Amino acid sequence: MSFITLKINNIACRYESAEILENIEFSASGGDFVGVLGPNGSGKTTLLRSISRTMRPHIGTVLLNEKNIYALPSKEVARNLAVVPQESPISFDFTALEIVLMGRTPHLGRFEIESAKDLAIAKKAMKLTNTRHLSQRPITELSGGERQRIVIARALAQEPKVLLLDEPTMHLDINHQIEILNLIKRLNREEKMIIIAVFHDLNLAALYCDLLMLLHQRKIFSLGSPEKVLTAENIKRVYDAEVLVKRHPATNSIYVTLLPSTPFHEGVSKGRSPFVIHIICGAGTGSQLMHLLIEKGHQVTAGVLNAIDTDHETHQRLGIPIVSEAPFSPISCEMHEANLGLIDQADVVVLTNIPFGYGNLKNLEAAELALENKPVLLIEETPIEQRDFTHGEAKKIYTRLKSNGAIVLHSPEEVLPIIEKMAR
Amino acid sequence: MYKNYLEKVLQWRLIVVYLTGILGLTIVLATTLGPAQIAPLVVLKILISRLPLVNGLVAPSRSIAEETIVLQIRLPRILLGILVGGALSVAGATMQGLFKNPMADPYIIGISSGAALGATLAMLGLAHMSVYTMPLMAFIFAVGAIFLVYNIASVGGRLPVGTLLLAGIAVSLFLSAITSFMMYISGERLHGIVFWLMGGLWASSWDRVWMVLPWICVGTSVIYIFARDLNVMLLGEEPAQHLGIEVEALKKVMMVSASLITAAAVAVSGIIGFVGLIIPHIVRILVGPDHRILLPSSALVGGIFLVWADTLARTIIAPTEIPVGIITALFGAPFFVYLLRRRKRSMF
Repeated sequence: MSFITLKINNIACRYESAEILENIEFSASGGDFVGVLGPNGSGKTTLLRSISRTMRPHIGTVLLNEKNIYALPSKEVARNLAVVPQESPISFDFTALEIVLMGRTPHLGRFEIESAKDLAIAKKAMKLTNTRHLSQRPITELSGGERQRIVIARALAQEPKVLLLDEPTMHLDINHQIEILNLIKRLNREEKMIIIAVFHDLNLAALYCDLLMLLHQRKIFSLGSPEKVLTAENIKRVYDAEVLVKRHPATNSIYVTLLPSTPFHEGVSKGRSPFVIHIICGAGTGSQLMHLLIEKGHQVTAGVLNAIDTDHETHQRLGIPIVSEAPFSPISCEMHEANLGLIDQADVVVLTNIPFGYGNLKNLEAAELALENKPVLLIEETPIEQRDFTHGEAKKIYTRLKSNGAIVLHSPEEVLPIIEKMAR
Repeated sequence: MYKNYLEKVLQWRLIVVYLTGILGLTIVLATTLGPAQIAPLVVLKILISRLPLVNGLVAPSRSIAEETIVLQIRLPRILLGILVGGALSVAGATMQGLFKNPMADPYIIGISSGAALGATLAMLGLAHMSVYTMPLMAFIFAVGAIFLVYNIASVGGRLPVGTLLLAGIAVSLFLSAITSFMMYISGERLHGIVFWLMGGLWASSWDRVWMVLPWICVGTSVIYIFARDLNVMLLGEEPAQHLGIEVEALKKVMMVSASLITAAAVAVSGIIGFVGLIIPHIVRILVGPDHRILLPSSALVGGIFLVWADTLARTIIAPTEIPVGIITALFGAPFFVYLLRRRKRSMF
């Protein structure tokens, strides 16, 4: 099988006198799945248009199998390269099958009429896109998603070796998004097609693409694997948005979560002096509570946390003073002391529903010390027996806490009214 | 619905054969109608006697008068009606496809206003009058208007259809203003100009048939060659280009061809409205939007329609003739509305 190659040689495009794309250089060969990302106006669609022979770059060349596509006959380009546009407004009564058959145009001679072979190819393309049942329906009667799948089928009927897609799944329901992207991925793997797709959704791009191109102000800002391109710093620079980048536990692909950049401080805006709450948490048990309290304008501190804990991330983001320990290490005496320092400055201490092992038993001891001179709230969502991994030692201290007057609550939401009452 | 393309092509051929049959019948029937009563059989005999290959089958007609009426008066008028009706319908279908606009008609980019000015100038005697002067002037001015519009609209070798439309309107209004001024100062010749503007086939002759035949045949053939490309153009210009169509070249070829056949038709028959707008729509409802069948069917239906409209125009209050444009609108519009109501679908 001969591999197709596509080379973008340092191209620049301009519309009238405004530059819309500069210094774009990259190449792809059969089997590459390239995702193009970038904010609106960064030149994503223009890049596709210049590759698809629609917008001639004023500098540089686009080479398809080492041949300049702007010098090739348009029919030859169309036999190798298909485009799925963002939207396809079609306002006349062709049937879906007739639209898909139009994909055979570049393969037909001037007076040739579609043969049985062309019909078979069109029907196969419709089967792949799951649109066979729509064959005889007028295109005008189809929904946006159905229509988009017909347009993808039309592109496949061209039997292209390069497929360009401009936000192909924008109008699709999530089930069809995955269906279409899986299909494209399969064509990419099995037929060794080059896929270049503009994505709006960073996570879908990370999930399907081998190579990502992040455009920023008309230029390539970053080009490489999803891990390399989708970093919190890159996204902050290009999109001006705060995000959290992690690997998704289920797919193991890079996963970007958008965070609101400034939390809403209701209490502070009312000019109320903040009430200090110290949260002893870990393993993700404190995140929700932290958000709740911060939003109400309370001052929150926390400790002792391990540095890769989810709670730890929340702290960092919310700018909460915390005491943290190195990942997977038991709480050291130093950190314990620092934690006690924060507890000392707090008006109230909350102990979340943490599972206890020997490593974080000191957090429980800290709560007991706190109870000597300030109220302690225990959030008990699961009984202590189920989260005691210290052969009864944690349970012993916990029971002592309860009998010494710690207030027992059953969910983080219950904390807020009590704190509000105390603050008054 | 057809199951495959072979079946579809067969269906298309049937449609063309069927319509050609109706056209043949139309020629014979329309030739029999008129102030002088001539029996259909006699007409048929006269027609066959003039056809090559089969002319030996019938005895030559005995009545010179009947032969003259059929061959020199009625037949050229009917053939011209077929040519003009067909040309306007094909040009209309082409313009609607190119502009992706159901409101487009052959006159959309200002051809009619150019032709009107040319004809008006000829009638006001600004050019030396002969039988050919008026159609020639109309044709030259129509083509001139097209090239003016074309040059205004083209930007760097491209022809954006939106600009083309607006340039057409601007040129049209400008030329119409001049024509109106001419009419205002035309005095007793006004009636002739108005009559011409309404369109009609009363001035038909074999000369005129031969004059427009090459233009219409060549132009229509060129358009038909690109019928499949016109289908793809309906997807939009960029998708068409992605499917291997040389969009800019196609637009120019189609625009020029459609304009030339329209100019030829207008030159010999004046501005007959309605046919070029409505016939393609009616035919689209009947045979579907594929230009490979839409164009030939439009040509045939347009021809049939105009011949019948003209027959009515010359017989309904004979010996007075009504401009055929009045008849086409009077009978075509209600029929079109009926079709619209019956199929409440999009017009394309």
